[in-house]
Amino acid sequence: MWEVRAGDVGKLEELFDRHQRSLFHFFLHLTASRSTAEDLVQEVFYRILKYRHTYQPEMSFRAWMFQVGRNVHLDYVGKNKGEVALPEDVVELRGPDAPPDRQAQKKQETVLLRKAMAALPREKREVLIMARFMELKHEEIASVLKCEVGTVKVRVYRALRELSDRFFALSGERAS
Amino acid sequence: MSCERFREQIPECLAGRLESDAREKLIAHLELCSACRADMAEIGVVWRGLESLPVPEPGPEMRSRFVEVLEAYQAGMEQGRMRAAAPVSRHWWTLGWWPAKAAWQTALALLLLAAGGFGGHYLARPHTANPPANSEIAQLQAQVENLRQTVALSMLQDQSSSSRIRGVTYASQVQQPDKQIDQALLFTLNHDANVNVRLRAVDALENLAVRPDIQRALVDALPLQDSPLVEVAIIDVLAEVNAKAALPALRQLMQDSKADLAVRQKAVAAVQKLEVSK
Repeated sequence: MWEVRAGDVGKLEELFDRHQRSLFHFFLHLTASRSTAEDLVQEVFYRILKYRHTYQPEMSFRAWMFQVGRNVHLDYVGKNKGEVALPEDVVELRGPDAPPDRQAQKKQETVLLRKAMAALPREKREVLIMARFMELKHEEIASVLKCEVGTVKVRVYRALRELSDRFFALSGERAS
Repeated sequence: MSCERFREQIPECLAGRLESDAREKLIAHLELCSACRADMAEIGVVWRGLESLPVPEPGPEMRSRFVEVLEAYQAGMEQGRMRAAAPVSRHWWTLGWWPAKAAWQTALALLLLAAGGFGGHYLARPHTANPPANSEIAQLQAQVENLRQTVALSMLQDQSSSSRIRGVTYASQVQQPDKQIDQALLFTLNHDANVNVRLRAVDALENLAVRPDIQRALVDALPLQDSPLVEVAIIDVLAEVNAKAALPALRQLMQDSKADLAVRQKAVAAVQKLEVSK
């Protein structure tokens, strides 16, 4: 990133190749929309290009990229307040008439988990996605969220706890 | 350590990132505390469940879109550098207007020859009390303009993108472009394969965009574009020339969820500007 910051912007192509996938998945889990996730990835790298001079070496590129990504997502949420980010097949398998075999049960669990994820507050979804799917270290998440490492541990736990409560409430296995 | 502190370590333990000492202490606590054990079991279910969530891969067009933006950005930087370097590194007679290809050199040479011949003829004439007829000067100017226009139109059809960029530059220098130039620039904007040529065409059209017909053509060109950079450049021009006729199209664009985010943002800014200037 230092070379990009110094003006060799062609090097950003390497960074894009290295990180586009994880950033795409970050937005996909946040928005549940493939096309929106792809658009937001473009926007992040465009902002990185435009504001490259603001990059500071004490932060890892990945952490800085996710920081930019959070801001891009915040802007997106602000402009699309009416839209609800729910996967399209959420309603498909609800209700007691779902097939009883194991495969269908597994699919139903996946659907309910996605619905529980979509219902989490944005901050909790963000921290969970970073910890579970992006496999960011707690130190990196702390850089992205601009908080202490201890705070990240608490937030990840609370996000998982709430996800668990919502999931079991939806599946009816345990009252929340 | 309290139950709360132990529970905060559960995600790290499930991710396999908890240090061995801390892990052993957590396991020892879980053996004694049924509430924390139940917590671990429930969180473990969703932790493993998350792994089974389907995660599609991004399509190849995501990368090609990015590379297109990056290349256009680099070209813009390069042009900026050349403009900044030109006054100190070059004399006026070696400026970058001279084409590289022999055919264009010949055409420009003819242009200069015509101008020189006419100028020489005029200077060699014995000066009489009667000044040269204005029609002769107008004729010379028209010949020069025609030749410049011919060169520009020919270069716009060249296979090399750098020649086409030069063609756009010549076209923008024509003092009174006729319909052919307008159409050639608009055709380039809507159909040229190279995004840099299309961007240069937008620049050239900016000089003409005070005219309502060019403003309409720019609005019509918006949905034809596949590059957000070109769309942004067109919107900039429409806002700059205060093209109020573009308001309906811009409002539609800013609400189009399929449009690029930067384009939508630019459309919002342009609409605000145009509405304020009413």
